[in-house]
Amino acid sequence: MSEQVTQPSGVILASFPERNGRPSVVYRNAGDSFLLVEFGEMVFDLTMSFRVLGLDDAIKRHRPAGLIETIPALRSILINYDCRQITVHDLIDFVEDQYEHLPPFENLVVPSRIVELPIAFDDKWTREAIARYVQYQRADAPNIIEGTNSKYAALYNGLRDEEEFFSYIMATDWWNAALGFFPGLPFAYPLDPRFAVVLPKYNPTRHWTPAGTIGIAGPCLAIYPVESAGGYQIFAHTVPIYDPQQRNPAFRQSPVLLRPGDRLRFRPRVTDEELEAMIQAVYDGTYQYVIDETATFDVGAYLHFLQDVAPEAEAFRQRQAEAAARVPVP
Amino acid sequence: MLEVRNGGFETTIQDYPGRIGMLSLGFAPAGPMDDYAFRFANILVGNPPGTAGLEITAGGLVVVFHDERAIALCGADMGARLNGQAVELWRSYLVRPGDVLEFDYLQGPGFRTYLAISGGIDVPPVLGSRATYLPGAIGGLEGRKLQAGDRLPLGEPTLDPAAAAGRRVPASFVPTYPGYNEVWELEATRGPQADPDYMTAEDMAFFFSHHWKLDAASNRTGYRLDIHKWQWARESGGAGGGHPSNILDNGYPVGAVNVCGDQPIILCIDGPTLGGFICNAVVAKAALWKLGQMVPGWSYIRFKEVTLEEAIGLVKQQEEIIHESNLERS
Repeated sequence: MSEQVTQPSGVILASFPERNGRPSVVYRNAGDSFLLVEFGEMVFDLTMSFRVLGLDDAIKRHRPAGLIETIPALRSILINYDCRQITVHDLIDFVEDQYEHLPPFENLVVPSRIVELPIAFDDKWTREAIARYVQYQRADAPNIIEGTNSKYAALYNGLRDEEEFFSYIMATDWWNAALGFFPGLPFAYPLDPRFAVVLPKYNPTRHWTPAGTIGIAGPCLAIYPVESAGGYQIFAHTVPIYDPQQRNPAFRQSPVLLRPGDRLRFRPRVTDEELEAMIQAVYDGTYQYVIDETATFDVGAYLHFLQDVAPEAEAFRQRQAEAAARVPVP
Repeated sequence: MLEVRNGGFETTIQDYPGRIGMLSLGFAPAGPMDDYAFRFANILVGNPPGTAGLEITAGGLVVVFHDERAIALCGADMGARLNGQAVELWRSYLVRPGDVLEFDYLQGPGFRTYLAISGGIDVPPVLGSRATYLPGAIGGLEGRKLQAGDRLPLGEPTLDPAAAAGRRVPASFVPTYPGYNEVWELEATRGPQADPDYMTAEDMAFFFSHHWKLDAASNRTGYRLDIHKWQWARESGGAGGGHPSNILDNGYPVGAVNVCGDQPIILCIDGPTLGGFICNAVVAKAALWKLGQMVPGWSYIRFKEVTLEEAIGLVKQQEEIIHESNLERS
């Protein structure tokens, strides 16, 4: 605890350097009811998700009085607490203690379902959302080219055209690190870094996004579960992932289809008409979601895979960085 | 049973503190936008402060009672009449079968009024709460706002309605809402992403001194404020995206000020739970109620910086105010 720095009205309540291979931690003030715990640097490192989910699990199992709930994300946990029952400094001590005792994650084999979702690229729903944005919000957004974000996405990542961009989306599985924003919305990251596209966000954010829209910002892919505002670049559509009326067997347990630790796989590629029929079938209760319920994820094997593909991944990152430098951000 | 003759502009069933424990699945808590008025209304009629009641936005509601109950209205003046007689706010009344309660529209400052009924509104809880969560279309009555013809079941009162009637909130605890061209002072702490690492000290000084106009495109999910060209403390969002307001997605505190590109948006109780924009401030929990009485397209806000300790002090102070022992007999 000797490294703890306390600034009562400052943003950083405490910070600890990297210890014994564990990433550094920063505790950030997030008001009188929340505390943000942030790990490592602001870089895209998917392995952080395995640590975060492990720590989140430990926090919940040893929950002290006054800890209400947590929101795990890729490299952070936001803790909701009752300031009348626990002080922020006791909460920090508690999390530090759990973090100290977290077992090494390198040998973990964790349950991780594989969820296959059909995908329609450059679809009519996405085009309508973008058209509305151009008409009512911003006509000169550089991220909109010929009524889509797909061409911009290709340019920004140094890819040949939107078709190559679409092929990258289908080439990797997506690790669902967290759910949030709106009910059941996955924050999924590419497991194969050779296809890890990156995009900036909308500015200003969209007032309207249709349910079922797929978008990317930063390295993160999201599926909008309900009609909502949104800031991600959008380019495709899929079947419902949230149904409050629970009309399909896949929603019998919960109105939310996805869970943290799921892997998403986009297949098959379908037309707008085919997707429309699938969406109808979801609500009729006849559509069968393709979910491998018993799949597991071997963290050790994955770390080896990352080593094997590191040169290729680095080559893509460089190509991306060079391309992004030439393209205006919104 | 409570019969709805006219649902008005937007009337929803809410309870307090709403749907807790669901943030990590993307469900905001929902509940009353002005929990101060909501809780006092319940206490006036002898209910526990969180009991389900109605949030009436802007007015227009007409309801008919079919039972003997105590009722209370707290919040904005909408010219409410009980069987044609003016009803005072912040005071409890006895109603009998056949009594009609009608609301006009806003008569002055403020935006929402709460109707508490002894015994509460007894719709089935969904995922642990009766609060209507419009973005997820769950809770309340079928996850939607009320409309003519709705019939709402009531719970059994614990206190004799006649004994609960005729009580009032002392004048010193009745808030005055800022009028036209006056400015709401909204207590807030610095957020997890403020200065010096994300914004400059000048950005934060501007944030805490500017009179922010509340945009007309605002609702229970978010309150949009003026577009502003921030200086920013960094060139880009790095792995989070191209714009300096971008971060790798993390959990959002309820009441956070979320800076999306150039636009700050206060995340309200139906707001997103996770996302990839910075939060430079968090509204103090004890000040969140003020959001409920601001008028989109009309109100001005100045954020008053408080320390974490001051914000916690405000929570404790408010708990002492919203208490049955403070009520007066009228």
